[in-house]
Amino acid sequence: MALNMVSVRDVPGIPNPGIVRNLAAVEKHMTRVLLIEDDGETAEEIRAELTDRGFDVDWSANGIEGLDKARSTQPDAIIVDRLLPGMDGLTVIETLRKEQVRTPVLVLSALGAVDDRVRGLRMGGDDYLTKPFAIVELVARMEALLRRPAESRETTLKVGALELDLIERTGRRGDRGIELLPREFRLLEYMMRRPDQLLTRAMLLEEVWHYKFVPATNLVDVHMGRLRHKVDGPDEAPMIHNVRGAGFILRAVP
Amino acid sequence: MRHLQFARSNTFRWAFMVAGVFAAFILVLFGFIYWQIDGYLIARSDRVITAQLDGIAGLSPERRLEATEERLRQDPRGVQVAAIFAADGRRMIGNVEQLPAELRIDGPAQGADIVRIDRGDKERQTIRAIAQRMTNGDVLLLGRKVDEATEISHVVGQALALGLLPGFLLCLLAGAWLSVRAQRRVEEVNQRVRRIIAGDLSERLPHRAVDEPFSKLAVIVNGMLDEMETMIHALAGVGNDIAHDLRTPLTRARLALERGRTNAHSLEQLQAVVDKAIAGIDQSLTIITALLRLAEIENSRRSAAFDDVALQDMLREVGDIYEPIAENKNIALHVEAPHPLSVRGDRDLLIEAVANLVDNAIKFTPEGGTVDIGLRRSGDGTVVSVNDSGPGISEQEREAVLRRFYRSDKIRNTPGVGLGLSLVAAIVKLHGFRLTIQPGPACRVEIACPDRRD
Repeated sequence: MALNMVSVRDVPGIPNPGIVRNLAAVEKHMTRVLLIEDDGETAEEIRAELTDRGFDVDWSANGIEGLDKARSTQPDAIIVDRLLPGMDGLTVIETLRKEQVRTPVLVLSALGAVDDRVRGLRMGGDDYLTKPFAIVELVARMEALLRRPAESRETTLKVGALELDLIERTGRRGDRGIELLPREFRLLEYMMRRPDQLLTRAMLLEEVWHYKFVPATNLVDVHMGRLRHKVDGPDEAPMIHNVRGAGFILRAVP
Repeated sequence: MRHLQFARSNTFRWAFMVAGVFAAFILVLFGFIYWQIDGYLIARSDRVITAQLDGIAGLSPERRLEATEERLRQDPRGVQVAAIFAADGRRMIGNVEQLPAELRIDGPAQGADIVRIDRGDKERQTIRAIAQRMTNGDVLLLGRKVDEATEISHVVGQALALGLLPGFLLCLLAGAWLSVRAQRRVEEVNQRVRRIIAGDLSERLPHRAVDEPFSKLAVIVNGMLDEMETMIHALAGVGNDIAHDLRTPLTRARLALERGRTNAHSLEQLQAVVDKAIAGIDQSLTIITALLRLAEIENSRRSAAFDDVALQDMLREVGDIYEPIAENKNIALHVEAPHPLSVRGDRDLLIEAVANLVDNAIKFTPEGGTVDIGLRRSGDGTVVSVNDSGPGISEQEREAVLRRFYRSDKIRNTPGVGLGLSLVAAIVKLHGFRLTIQPGPACRVEIACPDRRD
């Protein structure tokens, strides 16, 4: 576990000011994020973190102005607070969706109610994060929204030497076959569709196990430990990395 | 001043108004009776004099004079008036000085003022009179003094004085009495309520006969107070528990930060301190989240979104998720769900409930033990059970474990928020299911889902 523990700063899935991985993409188009949040301090923290990670952040403190900016600047993603002065966050989303704007939206809210979450998503928000949240969680979800896996018709997923046969439901790493239980297969498939991307525990719980709550036990770690044991052999370079205090990441061995 | 308070009280004012309305009603009633009787008497005397007039008018002029005289003679009370006037207005016979000017001759009986000559000092009287011109030009006047009406008004007046005034006073007295009584009770209740507000939760409202409305109300309020007292005591306990459970991690975080600020010399040391602090804050946040979620489920009206939940699949899924955790602890986890049974409910919440039970079972079962998840039919319901070979729950602890934050002393040191079972209880209650915990070693927790009757 300690061997492949990495810090968030070194995670390639998250753009880092020091390492510009995809120069061409950055030059052509810096990812622009519109942040609509009325609390100045929260907004400043989010903005600083996202700017550090190479996003171009535009901030708006109220719903009406936010909606105008969303229309005029056409950002790549929108982070919107649920309760805003001027116009409610959900109304902003609803209005945009009615205007056929498909920009991915991440809803922030201090209201943690499940029904509220459902409402947020139904209005067209793509993901929902309850305050207080870890900043890594926010960044990870932003990344996930921006890099939604395309619906591929491929029957085999490949990340480096790792292969997953979706029909035979078997895995292999190089020449070594990997026996997977159905639940391990599900987890690995989810990760292989999102390589180099930080996957937080909450994301895994929601999407792989459809858990709408956080269980007392460190479920995800136990399952991930099992899977890692199978994917990363004793003398192989690790592919599944534990990002301290944040989650997990699958990346090809360089 | 204080003893006159009743006069300003609402009850008294009402009594006063009722007495007033009562008096007015009696006055109107008596007035009506007087008016009716008066009318009746006048009509009767009018009929009488009209008939007599007809009788006398049919006689010869000489006989008329005799009949008139006869009539006056047979009147000991002196109520009769009769006279015949010649065509030139000269009185020929009778006890009336002259023909009253307002009296219409040949008209119906009417009221008229006359001057009697048979009484001393020419008394003026108001009478009912009728006059008719005879064929020879004489005018025959017949009349009758209707003094019964005055007598009746006297009687009515006396009756009023006897009945109305005491009645009115009685009303006022009753009003005052009721008002004083009500005020006394209100004052008593007021004082007790003040004591309750001041914090004496064991105080109750006074009540006597249960059939009386005021006492009925007091009994109801007392019931409510009982419930509230229990609840407030429970809440106070919970408050202490929450404070304790929130403070512990926050204190840890604070200590770590405080010490780290002075003692950390390298970035790594500082980061370790910060990680510790974040962990403490996260734990506090987890507690708050769990509390809010509990409140949300308890107040929720989600039954509208209920659907059929296939329990067999659901339990297998939970078993599948928890299998590695059990395996790590060398615990054998089995799912025994041979039949495809389903219930009506919210799948997400039911998974949460069962997962919590399994989570708990694995947590409290020592290594090498077993945890069994079961699904079976029992009577007219479906039963989900989670059994383990752990230390179990004692009889005394059974109720307590459902309380928020309760953690038995035996397991105080096991990490966990202690909200798990209350969450399960809330979810089960929301569904209208029943949660039973069998005491004794080897814990058995069951969720009984009765079949719907529709």
